[in-house]
Amino acid sequence: MRVAVIAGSISGGFRIASEIETLAGVELFVIVCNVGNRSPLLRWSRELLSALRSFKWWTAATKAYSYAQLGRLIILHRPLDDSTSIERVRALQCDLGLHAANVIYREPTISAFRLGILNAHIGILPKYRGRCVVEWSVLQGDPAGVTVFFIDSGIDTGSRIVLREFIPSNGWKTVGTLKNMLFGCDARLYRKALEALMQPGIQFEINDILKGRRYYVMSKMFNQIVNEILIDRTNLA
Amino acid sequence: MDLETALSRRVPLDRCEGILRAALLERRAELRKSWRSFVSSECLQSLGSLAKEVEMFLSGPNTSRDWRFAASFTWMDCEVPFLDSLCAIALAGKVEYQLSDTSPPRLLPVDLNKLSSNERLKALCARYRCPLNIGLASEFDVAEELLRQSMVQDRSKLEAGAEFDVDMVLLKLNLVGIRAIISRDLRYLDALNYFYELPRRSLKRMCANPRLLASWLCLYAQLLCTPDW
Repeated sequence: MRVAVIAGSISGGFRIASEIETLAGVELFVIVCNVGNRSPLLRWSRELLSALRSFKWWTAATKAYSYAQLGRLIILHRPLDDSTSIERVRALQCDLGLHAANVIYREPTISAFRLGILNAHIGILPKYRGRCVVEWSVLQGDPAGVTVFFIDSGIDTGSRIVLREFIPSNGWKTVGTLKNMLFGCDARLYRKALEALMQPGIQFEINDILKGRRYYVMSKMFNQIVNEILIDRTNLA
Repeated sequence: MDLETALSRRVPLDRCEGILRAALLERRAELRKSWRSFVSSECLQSLGSLAKEVEMFLSGPNTSRDWRFAASFTWMDCEVPFLDSLCAIALAGKVEYQLSDTSPPRLLPVDLNKLSSNERLKALCARYRCPLNIGLASEFDVAEELLRQSMVQDRSKLEAGAEFDVDMVLLKLNLVGIRAIISRDLRYLDALNYFYELPRRSLKRMCANPRLLASWLCLYAQLLCTPDW
């Protein structure tokens, strides 16, 4: 299976690639998008800073070099939905994309991948779509978790769910740290999803949007309440 | 695995409700002092005879009315104009309505969005002449669309300090507030929280429509002391 990590930075791409590259039967590519259409100076300064911050800059650099030599590191200079970017992606003939960039996917980009693009959404679908879903699930007394599903051009409306994993949120005193922990589960869950997809006769769960709601950015007041609930939960434990 | 068998330990809901209720009442107390920074004295005076009532409502004790009964009806007709009914609801007063056996044809968000801003305003005011109708189950799609527009396009415009259609933004906030009061959907309440928290300089322009501004603030005040979320 030809798989591409669609990343916003080289270090972000290789964080996920490291988890997946050992999976038998997977040929891996890393596509680095120019998120926000940044100037080359700004873009590469950020890359450098991000690599240095990870304290694994040497590993990242050697990995990037080896991927580049094999033609498996693709750096896009134009936005992802630009026709030249889509052509470059299409030429890779990938089966699957793994979302790891802060971009919105339009239909031509999604269809450049034979099976589509997977997203590790930090909320339980179909109930929690949209933004701040971790906060909303805590506020409404529901468990936290991550859903890996095939995206479409809507907001978390893609109909095929590959897997859902409930993740204990106990012990996290702020919503920020809880969210970081959930975001950090993406590489592991992408690997798990790939393993499932490579099994014959996989059955997808349907993301029935009528069973859920779209959520929006949360007010400061409700954010504070969510943090209080998390502290209360920790104190109760 | 379903939600009930999930691993996360759930905080007893009554504790969550306690935390939520305390925060809402705290915001209500804050609003009692802060509302004058939204409604200038000229803006208040332009309300005419309504000014005193609005002032008493916002500065006075917690007042709310349980409007959930409205959700069980098919459709309600009001004889008085939209703004008068809206004002009565916002001030937790009595609304004169007649039950109707039939409801108007379904309004699709896509059709609503085809209209110009002015036409949309008129269409919404006409459809929700009895504003309680926005709380009906049949109006789910329209309410969701109004919530989406408020929390995506309108919010980003106000946050960026860009020009916005004061009448339309306020109308949506009022309808979203009424939906919240009837459906007890926290997302709708939080839309009002969010707009209240925006920088005051972004909200200053809202004085251009004193009646809709006053009713939005009164609805918000009522929502903050509404129990059973």
